[in-house]
Amino acid sequence: MSTVSMRRVVITGMGAISPLGVGAEALWQGLREGRSAIGPLRHPDAERLRVKVAAQVPDSFDPTANIEERTLIMLDRTSEFALHAAREAIAQSGLDFSRNGLGVRTAVVVGTGVGGENTQDEQSKRLYGENSPRAHPLTIVRVMTNASASQISIAYGLRGPTFAVASACASANHAIIQAAQLIRYGMADAAITGGTEACLTYGALRAWEAMRVLADDTCRPFSINRRGLVLGEGAGIFVLESLEHAQARGATILAELAGVGMTADATDIVMPSAEGSSAAMSQALADAGLNADDVDYINAHGTGTQANDVTETKAIRLAFGTHADRLAVSSTKSMHGHALGASGALELVAVVGALRDSVVPPTANMDKVDPACDLDYVPNVAREMPVRAALSNSFAFGGLNAVLALKRAP
Amino acid sequence: MTDTTQQQVFDIIAKQAKIDVAIIKPESTLKDLGIASLEAIELIFDIEEHFNITFPDQQGANFDTDTTQSLVDAVQKALDEKAAAGEGSK
Repeated sequence: MSTVSMRRVVITGMGAISPLGVGAEALWQGLREGRSAIGPLRHPDAERLRVKVAAQVPDSFDPTANIEERTLIMLDRTSEFALHAAREAIAQSGLDFSRNGLGVRTAVVVGTGVGGENTQDEQSKRLYGENSPRAHPLTIVRVMTNASASQISIAYGLRGPTFAVASACASANHAIIQAAQLIRYGMADAAITGGTEACLTYGALRAWEAMRVLADDTCRPFSINRRGLVLGEGAGIFVLESLEHAQARGATILAELAGVGMTADATDIVMPSAEGSSAAMSQALADAGLNADDVDYINAHGTGTQANDVTETKAIRLAFGTHADRLAVSSTKSMHGHALGASGALELVAVVGALRDSVVPPTANMDKVDPACDLDYVPNVAREMPVRAALSNSFAFGGLNAVLALKRAP
Repeated sequence: MTDTTQQQVFDIIAKQAKIDVAIIKPESTLKDLGIASLEAIELIFDIEEHFNITFPDQQGANFDTDTTQSLVDAVQKALDEKAAAGEGSK
């Protein structure tokens, strides 16, 4: 029996840099319009790569905008995304960390799959390819996986618990869960959290090619003709607060982060298990005090690989029973691609949008449903419908599952 | 090269699966031979390295259920294409 009375956690700000543009609103608008940002790979080595398509942040993103030169030089692309998304989220929240010692009571927890991959790739090229005798002196501070969290902490004077979380494709959800728990248990009143990834380097693309899980045309989750996942990039950052802290200052609440679930499959390093991911969904429901039939929408992990989409469908059926047939389930990866350690954060923007605007974003590129995928995947066109509560699924290589349960703003 | 393509491919499979090469039949699938998931991808890599070829991305690639004969055919096809491309550039 628990003797700790947990505080409720709400979202009061969100920001995003995504293939659909700069800003959380650009991402949400694109998703509800069913617009896919997947296109031909833009890369200096595109000619010799087998990877043909990706979902990339557009060149209209200006990493230098309103960031001082002495900060910029410290940032890998991963941290650029995170810092810009954090600024948007914090501005929306209206929080002033210099007042009432809030900076000391604010945590920063940011997920990333690999951290400063672009820096790593550039420096490796210098050392091994060009036989340069020295690496750039800021290599370490750019590469380290906690760089994004630390840069946000420094930029805003946030002195609470600050760290990175790495769990491959579930990094963002795991990070958001850690941040929520810090607030629930009174270790922080507010938290800046989410995920960031920028790893479309030559080396990383070659590694993904060798795994043979990439689609060569587009991402078609749950379709019979799906050919794999499409890599993406970006960052989603959120401001979380305890409900009482948000209410006391009259903040606009976007949604409540009501429950969380985390499990490991403990079976295979890459092949997912329906039991593991369904257990994480059930945990998140129980933790949020939700019954299966309280949920209207699931933002699926929905990578578009052969293995994920069938297994996730089974997992949803295991967790929801007969109510599974009444759920709207969509994979927004069909539009923003798979941003790995940032994907859960981009998808949380979609879930907050769905709860707030009563619109479920679609699964794009839905040509013909796989008979083994027998749920309502909201094909191609967004659906206006009331969304009382929603789940957001993230499952990672390594067999790691992290699920968020969201409710409408109280 | 004295070994046939099939012998070479079977030798690589036997080494990867740690099985006697004699039990590999053309109609065996990788799954039959106990090669699944990531091991199958690793095997593909070993074959590509051995022959210095690159397999095209398959539609909905599922090497686990491919027969060893289909792998041998794919290797032979890639070798033939490589040879043709080599002649063409001369």
